[in-house]
Amino acid sequence: MDKKTVTTISYLSRLKIDSEKEQKIVKDLDNIIKFVDQLNDVDTSSIEPLTNPLEKTAKTRKDEVTAKNLKKELLEVAPSANEDYFLVPRVVE
Amino acid sequence: MTVKYKTIKEIKQMISQKEISNKEIIEEVYKLIDENSHLNAFVTLNKDRSIKKAEDLDNNPSDSSLAGIPIAQKDLFCTKGIRTTCGSKILNNFIPPYSATVIENLENAGCISVGKTNMDEFAMGSSNETSFFGNVHNPWGEKLVPGGSSGGSASAVAAGIVPAASGTDTGGSIRQPASLCGITGIKPTYGRVSRWGMIAFASSLDQAGPMARTAEDCALLLNEMCSHDVKDTTSLDENIPNFEDSINEPLKGKKVGVVKDLDLSSLDNDVIGVYENSLQEFVSLGAELVDISLPNLSLSVPTYYVVAPAECSSNLSRFDGVKFGRRSENPKDLEELYIQTRSEGFGDEVKRRILIGSYVLSAGYYDAYYKKAQQVRRLIKKDFDEAFSDVDVIMTPTTRGPAFEIGSKGNDPIQMYLEDLFTISANLAGLPAMSLPNGNIDNKPIGLQIIGNFLDESTILNFGHMYQTKTNWHMFTPEGVKQ
Repeated sequence: MDKKTVTTISYLSRLKIDSEKEQKIVKDLDNIIKFVDQLNDVDTSSIEPLTNPLEKTAKTRKDEVTAKNLKKELLEVAPSANEDYFLVPRVVE
Repeated sequence: MTVKYKTIKEIKQMISQKEISNKEIIEEVYKLIDENSHLNAFVTLNKDRSIKKAEDLDNNPSDSSLAGIPIAQKDLFCTKGIRTTCGSKILNNFIPPYSATVIENLENAGCISVGKTNMDEFAMGSSNETSFFGNVHNPWGEKLVPGGSSGGSASAVAAGIVPAASGTDTGGSIRQPASLCGITGIKPTYGRVSRWGMIAFASSLDQAGPMARTAEDCALLLNEMCSHDVKDTTSLDENIPNFEDSINEPLKGKKVGVVKDLDLSSLDNDVIGVYENSLQEFVSLGAELVDISLPNLSLSVPTYYVVAPAECSSNLSRFDGVKFGRRSENPKDLEELYIQTRSEGFGDEVKRRILIGSYVLSAGYYDAYYKKAQQVRRLIKKDFDEAFSDVDVIMTPTTRGPAFEIGSKGNDPIQMYLEDLFTISANLAGLPAMSLPNGNIDNKPIGLQIIGNFLDESTILNFGHMYQTKTNWHMFTPEGVKQ
């Protein structure tokens, strides 16, 4: 873990790290990664990963519309919207 | 007549005997909230609607199981028309257009949601110090943390403001604050309680559950919180028992697993003493202690700190300032909108976990970290599967010690992460687990953890209730032992 890696993962995370906090973040992340590195001492060669404790395939349900006509309610909680759409800064010049 | 420090069962009795009206109960709750405002347990109150609901109940009494019971809701559950912040600046102004299934279930059973409780930001923390809305204080001592992340809920119940609160538990967020505040809380089996409308942190670990004064009250709440919900694909379609039915079963012949490879070396002698005394109480209740081995238990914290941040970095990508929540001012383009909104809206701990998650999921590291952690996760679960072939429950201390002082864990995140040493494994394995008060150290409460087999909340509630018929640790309040 170094400054360059932190810059890369910050961008992947769409986060900007304040320059005065950068040194501490590099150190914290380095310590955390070193801490989780103890997992490497475990032999897991024949072990299937466990992604979810239920180990069941997600159930599907009938494709029935249960919540409809919510456009107004949902657009109301948006930071910026018109009658039909969420608004963001112009993307195409 | 007062409802302070009363249990749900006692309040139900008071209502049915007409010793107090529903409106008087709710008015007293708001008085208690005012008197305890220094605890900073609540972020948003729901006063007018709650009083109206109580008046309606007075005019039209209901026989619903929790009619008129005041409850504090963790501010992680979406509540229709009531601000829901998740302890974060980024949701400072978010008013959900719908309620979580758990909230609907509790309110349909008659509960009155009096307010939303403070919490660690996005449930990431073990001391409530990461909340955008400031520290919550522990009613047992102003300088003490209440634990986290469900710290506001724990503090509100411990102070006797409400008999019940909802919590969520991803790595110990119900059980650890329950231990530090001297109350009872249960994290159900993964999938028992719908996650729909819960703001997601780590989707394969998150589970909602009740926090209350007794195991019996937790059973009453759990009866209503559990449901099969088609809106949550991980919601279990399994029989839901009445959790009250078996709480009085004798423990004679039942087996308590005692983890022989538990490393207690970092614990104070007082903490070990309290734990060992409780085990002996269960022996005197007729249970048998059986040594079990969970050889991979010590790997649960490092496993968690790969799995949880990975899932969090993915879940929290939805907070981008576009569809809801707070947006940064005057971004020059869309990318800057995302980056500024997230950088201004998230606190340090949340950012740290998102960064770790992005790292362990990024190309070149995925197998080394994420896949590896999921493999170890299976080993941990296998240990429990084997142990539960021999025993009915497994017991450990809930926490390494009683409540610590605000600010005392300093700047080292790993020290805080180790707070959840004993609780995290139940989330990784998806098992139900509860914490209940089992002692006091320097006038600070501490809890015992009882872990159950898959879908077997009934047995841990049975053990918890029988313990509480024999001991009075659950009767201790910051103002003395309840009569």
